[in-house]
Amino acid sequence: MSDSNNRTGIGPQLSAALAALVDELLPGKGDWPSGATLGVQHPVMERIAMHGGEAALDELAAALARIGAPFEGLEVDARVAAVRRLEAEEPARFRWLRNAAYQAYYENPAIVTLIDGRGTPYRLRPHVRGYELPAFDPATQTPTHGRGHWIRTADVRSVDTSGLNLETEITTKWGLQR
Amino acid sequence: MSANNDIHDVLIIGSGATGSIAALVLAKAGHDVVCLEQGGWIEPGDFAHLHNDWAWRRATSWNPDVNMRSHPDDYPVDSDSSQVLMWNGVGGSTNVYGAIWPRYRPSDFRKGDEHGLQPNWPITYEDIAPHYDRVDLLLGTSGLAGDPAQPPRAPCPTGPLPFTAAAGRLAGAFDALGWHWWPVEAGVVSEAYDGRPGCNGCGMCNGCPRGSMTLNSRSIWPKALAAGARLQTHARVLRIETGADGRATGAIWKNRITGMEERTRARIVIVAANGVGTPRLLLASGNLANSSGMVGRNLLHHTLVAAQIWVDEPVNGQMGYVASLISREFAETDVSRGFVNGFNFNCLTSTPSAGEMTTGWMSGTTAPWGAGHHEWFEKHFGHSIGLFAIGDDLPNPDNRVFLDESRTDEDGVPVIRMHYEPGENDRRMMNYMLDRLEDVGRAAGAFEIALQDYRDANGVYRTPAWHMIGTCRMGADPETSVVNGWHQSWDVPNMFIMDGSVLATGGVVNPTPTISALALRASEHIRDNFADLSGTTRTLAA
Ligand SMILES: Cc1cc2nc3c(=O)[nH]c(=O)nc-3n(C[C@H](O)[C@H](O)[C@H](O)COP(=O)(O)OP(=O)(O)OC[C@H]3O[C@@H](n4cnc5c(N)ncnc54)[C@H](O)[C@@H]3O)c2cc1C
Repeated sequence: MSDSNNRTGIGPQLSAALAALVDELLPGKGDWPSGATLGVQHPVMERIAMHGGEAALDELAAALARIGAPFEGLEVDARVAAVRRLEAEEPARFRWLRNAAYQAYYENPAIVTLIDGRGTPYRLRPHVRGYELPAFDPATQTPTHGRGHWIRTADVRSVDTSGLNLETEITTKWGLQR
Repeated sequence: MSANNDIHDVLIIGSGATGSIAALVLAKAGHDVVCLEQGGWIEPGDFAHLHNDWAWRRATSWNPDVNMRSHPDDYPVDSDSSQVLMWNGVGGSTNVYGAIWPRYRPSDFRKGDEHGLQPNWPITYEDIAPHYDRVDLLLGTSGLAGDPAQPPRAPCPTGPLPFTAAAGRLAGAFDALGWHWWPVEAGVVSEAYDGRPGCNGCGMCNGCPRGSMTLNSRSIWPKALAAGARLQTHARVLRIETGADGRATGAIWKNRITGMEERTRARIVIVAANGVGTPRLLLASGNLANSSGMVGRNLLHHTLVAAQIWVDEPVNGQMGYVASLISREFAETDVSRGFVNGFNFNCLTSTPSAGEMTTGWMSGTTAPWGAGHHEWFEKHFGHSIGLFAIGDDLPNPDNRVFLDESRTDEDGVPVIRMHYEPGENDRRMMNYMLDRLEDVGRAAGAFEIALQDYRDANGVYRTPAWHMIGTCRMGADPETSVVNGWHQSWDVPNMFIMDGSVLATGGVVNPTPTISALALRASEHIRDNFADLSGTTRTLAA
């Protein structure tokens, strides 16, 4: 491969830098292991390669180098500040990495077991065995409110739309901006 | 070109929700049926569900958005707005759908009478009511009859799915507001039915390799094949051919295994390629069946906004069928709200995935990184409930799919483009819906409510378009519609459009029960009138 010289060492270096990033995103706390302890950086790296090929790995290595990962010798505040810089300066890349790290963390069998063990039913592959749920009980779960109506075909009547002014009164603030 | 001079009784293009039903009905009647499907069979291992990294796959290789996955069975769809959700393969989009299974109501067919901003359908609710019941038996569904907000219906073939904690919490909220609610109907069997196992509550309802959900590749195709229908996979139809008399003679298709072009001829051609694939094919076949100019136009997706709420008590929405309740409180027009038409609340449970919960599942709310991450997770996972508000959008001819004559795909077919923008009535409705979603969240005692309007940073409405309908609408007038009330092309009398593109209005609900009931009705009409229809040179108003 023609550019192999430029990429010598990217594997282990990138892996270490990514592990450091993952540990800032998902630090260990209480029962929860840190991301790097579980090796979350490995599936993340594999998925970056799958998504964007070797070029994406090169770009990532450069981006992590810019923020000083793997943060050797840096105090917590400085590490967090470095990650915040990545978040602010390269939001799309950061979002992708964060999501990939979260997904890899929560699909890890150790985390699945931990969630389940904490009392929130959770399975590695829920489709295989499913979850135990009590069957619908017609006696107690059939709605009794009696609310609801519908209009028969023959009873559909013309409504007066003259006050709506759909052509002239234009809603410019809509959705979350409303 | 490899030519086969056999003339089949029926050629069906597309093997999805509707093509499969047509194949079953017509093959069972003894007709010689061939179905051409551009994709292949989907094997259990192809679904995301059986892999440890299923959540990651749902965002990548099993993503229902054609532009977010890279699958050889797809064709390019260039959208400047909507997310284009569908699956191309045996069973069509049912491979990835959620099978929420509500019916239209009578007024949905009479919007012309009600306000005139939409057309009346050429048929009524009563015309398809019996087909709703029969399609439920055919496909296997679950639910509870007796909803006072709907016309009476036959019992579902299986009883309602488990009433989850999320359902209970929302029912309490609707009761507090004095609003209608009802357990959701689903295209999922709650107990063993027709050789398929009952739902196991896994929560991963985008397709279902165990077959509790009715994927038409499982529920219909085996029966259609046993009845003698032939299904040619990897057969991408490039154009429909017509004879000198304007009748369809068959189709030219690319065999995606050999790379050869082949011709299939038939007495009747049924197009069932969905709301994008059908107009694409007609437009690429020399603007076929388009004397009205309506092919590809009036694309409807529904108005759609959403909310994600979090409550203190665990509701464990990762378990159970994806949907919990439906509320039809606002389904009919009330102009005092400032718009015509209505909407429903499609209440969900939650995401089945802890990873999806942290990466912004429904509302875009993501878990913080760093020191607060685990605390956020403990508070939010198992405590979330999702709600959609889904309404009847008004047709606009400029909302459409159309060919880009300057670009072709790998088969030499012009690339299809999509444009969709909500109109004034739709925007007003969505504002109202968002306010009502907040009402529900508050009544449910949520400690956090996050709304979703599907607008991007530039304000473009990028709705997840799992409903792509209206692009070859049925009507009573050949000037303004593409097919008559029996799905028969006004211009090509032996060609029928069977898929969701024929819906004249979107109603306030997920459309596939209606699409399926219509397909059953039209297929039986073709079956019962085959001699006339296969020789006819004129389409009559139904
Ligand atoms: C993610 C998702 C979730 C959904 N959830 C729900 C839900 O909960 N409830 C509901 O009611 N509906 C839901 N839907 C919608 C539902 O899937 C569709 O309404 C239904 O599948 C439409 O049926 P159809 O026959 O029109 O098209 P499809 O089922 O899409 O089938 C069309 C078929 O035609 C084939 N085709 C297209 N062009 C060609 C060609 N040129 N040559 C050969 N073959 C071709 C395609 O490959 C495909 O297999 C959902 C859809 C998606 C994508």
